[in-house]
Amino acid sequence: MIPGHFTIRDWVYIAVFGALWGALEMTLGAHLHVIFPPLADTFFTGLIMAGIGAVIALVGRTFVTKTGAVLFIGVITAILKVFSLGGMVIGPVVAILAEAILIELALLSKEPPPRWRYVLAGSLAVSWNFFHKFVMMRVIYGKGINQVYTKMVQDGSATLNMDVAGAVRVIVVLFLIRAVVGAAAGWLGWDLGRMVAKRLSRT
Amino acid sequence: MIRARLELGMGSHLGFLLWALLMVALLPDHRLGLVLAAVVGFGLLNGGAGLGVILRPRFWLFILSILALAPFILGQPDAHWGVFPLSREGLETGFWMALRAWVLMLTFSTTLSALTVSQLVRLFDRVGLRGLGFSLGVALNLVAVLNDVVASAYHTIRLRGGWRRPRRNAPLFLVTVVANALQYGDDVVNAATARAFDPASRSAQPGYQFISRADKAFMAGLLAIAVALALPFWG
Repeated sequence: MIPGHFTIRDWVYIAVFGALWGALEMTLGAHLHVIFPPLADTFFTGLIMAGIGAVIALVGRTFVTKTGAVLFIGVITAILKVFSLGGMVIGPVVAILAEAILIELALLSKEPPPRWRYVLAGSLAVSWNFFHKFVMMRVIYGKGINQVYTKMVQDGSATLNMDVAGAVRVIVVLFLIRAVVGAAAGWLGWDLGRMVAKRLSRT
Repeated sequence: MIRARLELGMGSHLGFLLWALLMVALLPDHRLGLVLAAVVGFGLLNGGAGLGVILRPRFWLFILSILALAPFILGQPDAHWGVFPLSREGLETGFWMALRAWVLMLTFSTTLSALTVSQLVRLFDRVGLRGLGFSLGVALNLVAVLNDVVASAYHTIRLRGGWRRPRRNAPLFLVTVVANALQYGDDVVNAATARAFDPASRSAQPGYQFISRADKAFMAGLLAIAVALALPFWG
């Protein structure tokens, strides 16, 4: 990734997709935080915004084919999020950057990435949503949060009359939901990128 | 209330952010109150920038939720609240966890809110990422234009009866928005090219002083405070 190899067009297109993703984070993201209860918003709001972000980033990668493009799209989006009204933005900023890095890693290749890499990139990016809450809570609350999670799984299992293995199965299902949503986002990103390119080649 | 305002540069704000994060990581829990006081003081001296977050209900929900849960979940129960067993040890642990969260969230809020776009653009220019600074400027202008792009695409499809079949025409809407945004981008490319802008070159303007003398004095002060906070603990 050598920023000097990016042309003016590359930088402007990075700005376009960063602005698209950032605008959605500032508008739709804010509305979803209001609609969904704060303690549930990692799953609903986070999942929806992660999926949409992955689609936009992957469409952007169709137009700026150089390594590092998605990372810079993520940086632009994160900066726009920081400057948006809201205050408590460190969680979304970390999520945006983590998604961008994961997409970049999945698309690392000398050859133009095929569809399956887009699907993998989307899946990895949205799967971060599963780990995001644990990572952020550990950073913000410190190591005591590990005990909280363990006790909640144990007590929750006992209350629901499930064994702990059952609770773990539920957690695995929640992870797989994210992976599938991400894969769908990757698939859609591939198709949407080609549709936009086809439309622009006609004008 | 008269608000003083420090004239510190970006170096000081980022330096304070790193300082606060290190203090939270290294100091024992009972000294976090002093770090919180330093963060609030920094925010007040910056004209109250970033302190507005404590007026938000979500902020207090975040802080108080762990304080509310901890006595019931952590430690060995040694008291009761009605029929619910409580732990004083859990309450104390929850208090320190909530205080740590408070310090971290206020730190990010007071330091990041003081950053300006022009500071970031100059920083990117200084570290050889002039194109990223240019890109940030374009993105900020484009955010204002996107509203028109989206509205135009929406109404164009609506006037043609497209929204009677939303599933079929939603992809058309998305394609139109992205294509129109990229065409706006092409106009920006043409304008920049006409002005012989080169993202790979360095700016001809005098270099931006990332760390001024005032910043260095501020960071020396932070180091002294860090030593003062840490020494009695280690001694």
